[in-house]
Amino acid sequence: MIRERAKIGIEGLDEMLEGGLLTGRPYVFSGTSGTGKSTMGMHFLVEGAMNGERVLYVAIDEPPNEVFLNFRKMGWDLSGISVLDGTPDVLNYDKTPVRDVSSERKIVPLASVGEAIRRTVEKAPTDMTVSTLQELMKQEFKERKYTRIVIDSLTSLKHFYIRTSEEFATLQSFFRTLSDLGATSVLTVQIPEVFRPGIESQLARGEIRLHKWFDGRGLMRGVTIEKYRGSSHDSRMRHLKITQTGIVVPMAEGGKRKKSSAPEESEPEKEPKASEDAGLEKKEELPLPPPPENGMKEMRPPIASGDTTEGCDSDGSGGSPT
Amino acid sequence: MSAETKELKASTGIQGLDKMLKGGLIPGRPYVLSGSVGSGRTTLAVQFLQQGVRQGERALLVAIDEPPAEIRENVRYLGWDVGKIRILDVHPTARAYSRKVAMVEIAAQRSVGSLREAKDDAKADAMKLASPDLSVQSLQLMLRQELQETRYSRVVIDSLTTLKRLSGEADIDMGMMSLLRFLSESNLTCLLVTDVPDFTSVEPEIFISRGEIRLHRIMTGTKIERCVTIEKMRGSSHDTIPRPLTIAKEGVQVNAGKKVPKAALAMLQGIPGSLR
Repeated sequence: MIRERAKIGIEGLDEMLEGGLLTGRPYVFSGTSGTGKSTMGMHFLVEGAMNGERVLYVAIDEPPNEVFLNFRKMGWDLSGISVLDGTPDVLNYDKTPVRDVSSERKIVPLASVGEAIRRTVEKAPTDMTVSTLQELMKQEFKERKYTRIVIDSLTSLKHFYIRTSEEFATLQSFFRTLSDLGATSVLTVQIPEVFRPGIESQLARGEIRLHKWFDGRGLMRGVTIEKYRGSSHDSRMRHLKITQTGIVVPMAEGGKRKKSSAPEESEPEKEPKASEDAGLEKKEELPLPPPPENGMKEMRPPIASGDTTEGCDSDGSGGSPT
Repeated sequence: MSAETKELKASTGIQGLDKMLKGGLIPGRPYVLSGSVGSGRTTLAVQFLQQGVRQGERALLVAIDEPPAEIRENVRYLGWDVGKIRILDVHPTARAYSRKVAMVEIAAQRSVGSLREAKDDAKADAMKLASPDLSVQSLQLMLRQELQETRYSRVVIDSLTTLKRLSGEADIDMGMMSLLRFLSESNLTCLLVTDVPDFTSVEPEIFISRGEIRLHRIMTGTKIERCVTIEKMRGSSHDTIPRPLTIAKEGVQVNAGKKVPKAALAMLQGIPGSLR
């Protein structure tokens, strides 16, 4: 595979992915609530913007103004990120005709979004659907190509914009559109706490899953690669921290690992100590348990283990250090 | 504590919880307060409203689970003056307001079951003709009407789970999204009381809300341990360790400096996901 890789911008994770995501394909970031899906999506965009790429954030569950405020606090440069406000309006419950959304919603720079929430126009809320969203993106791409897209979240998109009966076909077409647009796209998916495989995982070319659980000392977080087509990858879970400046995934110990030199190059930048100081949360967290290499499997939440890792083990065994 | 403390946060009225939240909740956003029966959700929610009143804000309690009079009795036992908290009584059966609780006049809703009991009340009779049953939709419309008259800054819906059960609409997800959107457009800091989420499905209020505070009640052989966890909090760092919670005369208290006993933590750990 001589395809370019799009780095996510989290060193340990890029290392797990053998350098990053294969460009031009749709991927899923999944996890239960509060595991860091949106934050990881934003990492992916900020990384792209830093490399001078055009990046697009499609906000579906959280209004862009709040997204902006949340991530500005992390001290990130959000100036290069464009945003499409795909949040649904307040329902009017009147029988007024709905307006065509394509004339109402435009892609704007995230930094230009005001501090207040967009107000539903009193008389006529717009009717947003997957097809309008799809059209809006296609239109925009005619004028300006984006190389990275984050859809946050696909779960909302499914719940609010897709009828259950048409779910599979609609989603398939949506994923197809994303591939056709040529951008590397990330869709966040909220999964229930008792895992049931969803069709998103089937449709995506890869899935990165975020975990959190208690191990008796406090809250632990981890990340696994559940699926990654066309690339070898690290199939073990690694610990993950959410600090005040973003997500940190540690590099493998003595990570002398093959070809993808990209993660290694950037190693010096990584200052785990600095981020430790920065993270309030981190101070209160307990010391990191044994490094990912020993017995991570046992530390997985009971439910997640077993149902998805097997497949990955076989694909990814080439990539795991032993 | 750097930039975080300078920014304005809405205090929950519970010191330990504020500490866990690094000051409180980011104002103007909806949050979920989940927990099992008897975990202290309503008490905590009323304290949140009371804190607003103390700061000169207007606070509204949407009572769906329990008749307002009972809520008032319950919290009076805890020794607070809750007279200034406004109550929107959408409880399907009880329609009596206490004198102390300011009554909110709106086109209140009732379920069919309650109509029979309210028969000799002429006013209720008139309203019954005009109003539909309580649902996500009618609540949004009611709140809209109420907010046009009074500017609130804090709202508690107790409970969203019951509201959903009562609604039974086909498009409940969309309605819920709309309600939450409406609340944030109205710039309200909301606590939405829910049961512990179903572990096998994803409820829209959980992924749309900007945060989730979960209360646990754990049997550990000899006694009941209570604790609180913050499952999700957008745009703010927070304490990720479960902290013990007590319900005393003064209401819910959280000890942010202590850890939950080992036995209870082991229980949290044993249960899948974050039921814990």
